[in-house]
Amino acid sequence: MKLAKYVKFREEKFGGVLFETRSEKVYTLNPAATAVVREIQAGSAAGDIPARLKERFRDEGGAIEREATAFIADLRQKGLVED
Amino acid sequence: METSGSRPASDPAVPGTTPAATGSGDLGAPLYIAWQVTNECNLACLHCIEESGPGKAFHDELTDEQVFRVLEQTMDLEVPYLSFSGGEPMVHPRFFDMVEYVCGRNGQLKIETNGHYLDPDNCARLKSLGVKAVQVSLDGASRETFNRMRVRGDFDRALEGVRNLHAAGVPIEINYSPTSFNAHEIGMAVDLAAELGAYSFYTGRTMYTGNAVKTWHRLAPSEEQYDEFFRVLHGKVEEYRGRMRVHFHEMGLLEELRYRLHHPAALLIVLPNGLVKLINALPFVCGDLRRQSLTEIWGSFQRAWQDPRVAKFVEDLARDPRQTATLHRWVYL
Repeated sequence: MKLAKYVKFREEKFGGVLFETRSEKVYTLNPAATAVVREIQAGSAAGDIPARLKERFRDEGGAIEREATAFIADLRQKGLVED
Repeated sequence: METSGSRPASDPAVPGTTPAATGSGDLGAPLYIAWQVTNECNLACLHCIEESGPGKAFHDELTDEQVFRVLEQTMDLEVPYLSFSGGEPMVHPRFFDMVEYVCGRNGQLKIETNGHYLDPDNCARLKSLGVKAVQVSLDGASRETFNRMRVRGDFDRALEGVRNLHAAGVPIEINYSPTSFNAHEIGMAVDLAAELGAYSFYTGRTMYTGNAVKTWHRLAPSEEQYDEFFRVLHGKVEEYRGRMRVHFHEMGLLEELRYRLHHPAALLIVLPNGLVKLINALPFVCGDLRRQSLTEIWGSFQRAWQDPRVAKFVEDLARDPRQTATLHRWVYL
């Protein structure tokens, strides 16, 4: 999985922004979502990302893991990532 | 701007609509730089907001060295999206070098052109360099209206340019400025854009500024014409849904500027001489790329929107909409 052709990512103090330049839509990301995009850029497999974030954020309750899973699905649904 | 590390975990990504709808406040750099690379143009359009035309290059346009220094800063700051416009950007002697630089550093670049230099070779080159899109101004669905609006322009040549883009596989956007004599063609123009293979169609109200100040009596659509114009566009949005994006600003300038006062866009307008404007529809300049870095100007840009002179200009506009005639008398903040 990688960012779609027309999607640009930039880190910011608050997290990051995704900019889909074809539709000119901008998505602002919190730190957890930013971490997901960083993993995508690093080439991590989609299925591995939630668990990696769970470990990194010491997410004992699993909230971030669920959030990451939902976010990846949302990225796919919006066409912001491609395989 | 709704960006915060404390955003609820269930809401990881907050969609804005466009760079213009994304506030600039918390961002480390602009999201979009709209760069008018020269004021020179092969055409002399009746409505040109920049008063561009043959021999109209500014005497102090950026040197090659300055141009590439700005581009380097832009890419270093990871500004994700740029557009080159003019004037006619393709008459700039270093146009293709500039395109190559931006695309080579993975920037997404849109070219806004009148389409008269889009021969097959240039289109192939734009494709191979990887531009995101080329936006062509087609203000009319017929030779008669287009040529009346685009003085020295040729409808057939512009159409041929768009066809060359399509043949080369370059994504196409079409831009349309309404006037009293072409507003009735809007439906046909949208259809034409789709037939030419465009993926986006943009339009909105024509501004009373630049050349339009002198030609307004021949240009200005009536409110009845605008009503019909937007009615047709609403229908076209539905007709082309999923095939071509029909995008238009129905909002008047005053409403838009009032909105911007509280939601400045994450967008810098760069003039051919390196001055940076807050927004095209205001006369205010917040920096000079010949003397300041892009980072410095980004800071000035955010403070400039709070300057009381900006709010006053917008409110004065409510009393006298014709103040837009003075947009080229720059006011330095």
